Amino acid sequence: MELPGERTPLIRPAIPVQVEDLAEAPQLCLVDTGATTNRFAGWLAEAVGIDLSGAPEQELVVGGVQARAKLARADLTIAGTRYDAPVSFCDPWPFAFSLLGQEGFLRFFRVTVCAADGWLDVTPEAEL
Amino acid sequence: MSRFQVAHQLVDLDRERIEKALEGVLPEPIQEHYVVVRGRRYPPKQVITCATGLDRADFTTHQARRILLRLGFTASRVTSEVSDETDPEVGLPHGGRQAAALAPHAGRWIALGAPTEVLVAAETPQEVLGWLARHGRRAEYGMFRVPARDEEAEGAAPL
Repeated sequence: MELPGERTPLIRPAIPVQVEDLAEAPQLCLVDTGATTNRFAGWLAEAVGIDLSGAPEQELVVGGVQARAKLARADLTIAGTRYDAPVSFCDPWPFAFSLLGQEGFLRFFRVTVCAADGWLDVTPEAEL
Repeated sequence: MSRFQVAHQLVDLDRERIEKALEGVLPEPIQEHYVVVRGRRYPPKQVITCATGLDRADFTTHQARRILLRLGFTASRVTSEVSDETDPEVGLPHGGRQAAALAPHAGRWIALGAPTEVLVAAETPQEVLGWLARHGRRAEYGMFRVPARDEEAEGAAPL
């Protein structure tokens, strides 16, 4: 993924993720090896019909922003593979991307990043 | 104000009226021709329909385009955007063309139909979802908010 930069274009490891049945609008998500879980914007839960009332909550700080995260499960489709994943829906979420983290993504996929040539490969693990 | 005949009717139009009519209106999918209004690309027939209330079936793209050109708007075809003639930048996945296509939309939510094809750009994700549903389009390459600054692309939040 190339992004416009102030001096030069920026390359980021981002992949489209279908959330539930929102097939017409896969969310471009940043692969974040430092994130413990998938963190999506709160508006997305409402858009796909995930009821967060009564969901476990936690306060956290992401990128310097204090947010309230509601924990839920969602069907994600990545590289043609649909699976059930834990997701925390965060509000506010003023970032450009949602994040794919350890639980809910890297546990399920083998990811190869070649920043030198600007490509990323995602392969489902055998258990999927 | 200039007077034009469209669909057997006389209509008075000027730039200000056109721009006001399109405030908050998202562009429909562009087939081939577009005009630029306040930095956004619209199908010419959509512009004339919004500004006059006329039925778009009653006039042609050519007529709409001609009127808008006379009012001083820029008109072009999609085939000439982010052209392959641009020298690619070595070491970038799309030779810098993707970054160039996204640059005008910094800070907005967009849907990408192809690596360099921005289907729609809007202020909110809900507007993008609504547009995709209305027009039966799919963001094959995902939807996201184009970072407005380098820091946002690096994971920091906007101030």
